[in-house]
Amino acid sequence: MGEIKAMTGNTAAAVGAALSRPDVIAAYPITPQSSVVEYLSDLVHNGSIASTLVATESEHSAMSVLQGVASAGGRAFTATSSQGLAFMYEPYYQMSTMRLPMVMALVTREMISPCTVWGGQQDAMSVRDAGWIQLYAENNQEIMDMIIQGYLLSEHKDVLMPVNVCYDGFYLSHLVERVDIPEQSKVDAFLPAVSFDHVVLDPLRPMAVDSLTSGEVLMRYRMSHLEAMQKTLDVLEEVDEKFYAAFGRKYGGAIEEYRCEDAEFVILTIGAMTGTARDAVDYCRDNGTKVGLIKLRYTRPFPQQRLIKALAGKKGFAVIEKSVCYGWNTGPMYVETRSAVSETLSGLSHFSAIGGLGGADISLNHMISVIDTLQASLNTPGQKQTLWLVKE
Amino acid sequence: MNYIQTLRTAKDVVTPGMSACQGCGAELILRRVLQLAGQNTIVCVPPGCLGGSGVVGWDYQTGMEIPVHIPLLTNTASYLSGVSRMYQRKGRGDVNIVCVAGDGATADGGFQSLSGAAERNEKILYICYDNEGYMNTGFQRSSTTTLGSHTSTTPLGSVISGKEQQQKYLPLIMSMHNLSYCATASPSHMADMVAKIEKGLAWSKEGFAYIHMFSPCPTGWLYDIDQGIQIARKAVQSNFFPLWEMENRKYRMTYDNKKPISIADFVKDIGKFRDLSEQDLAAIQSMVDDRYEKLKKLSSEADCNE
Amino acid sequence: MSERKHISPIGQEGLYVLDTASWRTHRPVMDKNTCVECGICLSYCPVNSIIFNDENKYEITYNYCKGCGICAVECPKKSISMVAEGGEDHG
Ligand code: SF4
Ligand code: SF4
Repeated sequence: MGEIKAMTGNTAAAVGAALSRPDVIAAYPITPQSSVVEYLSDLVHNGSIASTLVATESEHSAMSVLQGVASAGGRAFTATSSQGLAFMYEPYYQMSTMRLPMVMALVTREMISPCTVWGGQQDAMSVRDAGWIQLYAENNQEIMDMIIQGYLLSEHKDVLMPVNVCYDGFYLSHLVERVDIPEQSKVDAFLPAVSFDHVVLDPLRPMAVDSLTSGEVLMRYRMSHLEAMQKTLDVLEEVDEKFYAAFGRKYGGAIEEYRCEDAEFVILTIGAMTGTARDAVDYCRDNGTKVGLIKLRYTRPFPQQRLIKALAGKKGFAVIEKSVCYGWNTGPMYVETRSAVSETLSGLSHFSAIGGLGGADISLNHMISVIDTLQASLNTPGQKQTLWLVKE
Repeated sequence: MNYIQTLRTAKDVVTPGMSACQGCGAELILRRVLQLAGQNTIVCVPPGCLGGSGVVGWDYQTGMEIPVHIPLLTNTASYLSGVSRMYQRKGRGDVNIVCVAGDGATADGGFQSLSGAAERNEKILYICYDNEGYMNTGFQRSSTTTLGSHTSTTPLGSVISGKEQQQKYLPLIMSMHNLSYCATASPSHMADMVAKIEKGLAWSKEGFAYIHMFSPCPTGWLYDIDQGIQIARKAVQSNFFPLWEMENRKYRMTYDNKKPISIADFVKDIGKFRDLSEQDLAAIQSMVDDRYEKLKKLSSEADCNE
Repeated sequence: MSERKHISPIGQEGLYVLDTASWRTHRPVMDKNTCVECGICLSYCPVNSIIFNDENKYEITYNYCKGCGICAVECPKKSISMVAEGGEDHG
């Protein structure tokens, strides 16, 4: 066991990054991410880590610098939120389509307008089809652990994709929890030095990177990217096991099931709200309601098979989200979950619940209301109205 | 070795057959820069005439014998910052980190990242070939397009004719980033251009080096394809494109223009200036005179390269 | 689908070369009677089609020359003339 410390989610992310020995850290400040990079800047300026720090003039350039780093064979780290991510989108997309590994802490935050700087998951959800692996942490320990795991996954020869470790702005980024810090030597053993060389800018091995490409050839790159994304579903489970063997903590891979075995119906959650949902499930169980919880840890790749299994034999589900899907009048992961279980959907009662936008709270009562509403609708299968978790 | 001896022995690392137009100034610039940079070089060519000319390759083939990448229009300098930082980390600071970018990728969409990298003094040689517009997408205006120019977004209309604004003078803006080296160059003055590329490469090992190059474009500017060097020469002789450099924070005119020709003489065979009004012509002349005076005041000495 | 792994879009299978000689309507021809071997033409050729050959002479090659005529305009001795391409053969 390593050292135990109380720290914020942002510090946990920074420590996780530092333990992963990135060659270059490049970033631009934005709320609620800023303290991640401030912490790392201290470490670099005090000589505690050997990384190079590039304080860029924008998030667009932060991602671009790191693209240069990765295409020269380096390990890269950054962190951002919301508008920073939106500004970064152009090189963000190219990072994944160049199949360059890196880890980025995405401290999730609502998108404007109206003007807001508080929590939500709309930023991360809005870029779900940009070719990145996206995973969500529930607590500060998981943030630190997943940044370390993220590098192993990202640089895996069958994966070779950048990874977003998403966690809730303010709810995790600024709140202090107990964290068990892995020992550097153990992290070094778990995470070897960079070895990817499928693409490299080096005069000793000249090649064109991103030559102009015809549609027929481009489609092969996309096919391969999509195949690798599917392959990632296996690799992430292996990485989870490997991490467990090294550090004694296990997260369940793409999803975590909580009190699901004998459950009649389940609620699905993403990120920090899961803690409240666990309490709600426990409370309702105490009152005789057979409800379970699925924590969606990875959204890209989407764990379709695991969800089919987890939802087999259940009578209904509700997906609780801190983001919206404009075309569907629901949350985005609700759409994907119903799509994943489309073969058995007709027998299920299901709906989308939306809350926590712009930093609003998702309370225990909200969680209980979702469970109650779902339970009340179990006898009439089909989609129910979207439930907005606003103040009663 | 004089500059011609240098050029005749320096290997060309770019594909011999690229799709730049006949008489293209940018092709000349690209080949000269990379001939002088040599094999131990990583180059970025962002979208633009050169990025689209096949020099980054096609499908599984490459357009160069050195590593080449087409970054985004908007991020060349920051992308290369990352490459450069990694080469410093690897202890291979001898590798030339170079880009050859158009004025759109430099002065407009890419300006933020360029300014950021320059301010951070990243070890890069940044070459801008300024052909005064977005030529690869069909000759649209850019911020370096001259007043009165016809472009496809500043056409000759019954109400408005040509570009309504003066050009942005980027090289001086760049020099104020406390660069290691900053210069202007014109292919007409090849000895000067070769000397500046060599200096730029050397200075890029210390920090950010920037060279703004005049890049005549027969297709967008509408002049005869054999006239590119003549036009570039007149640009210098008219002070439309003054040649200077900044090294160790000292400015120096590298072509002392004792008897400038008029702007009217410079523009007369260039189609994009076909319908320049008298007022426009006077405004350009006055801007050019004013700029030249400022540059002369900045310069400590008039010591020419040729 | 071939055995190729389509991971990152990279080009490393030889040089991509266009047949730019086919664009030429006029070819530059050098008159060695008047040429003073100054090399100015070489310095200005955008295509690098003018070489300094084994006999230490400047020589125009035609595999990629686009026929722009810059060399002819810039030669201080007017030793290069642009001659209309006659047939289908591009040298
Ligand atoms: S005609 Fe143009 S391309 Fe051909 S040799 Fe002369 S300058 Fe070069
Ligand atoms: S420029 Fe003219 S004189 Fe000089 S080498 Fe070329 S052909 Fe000969």
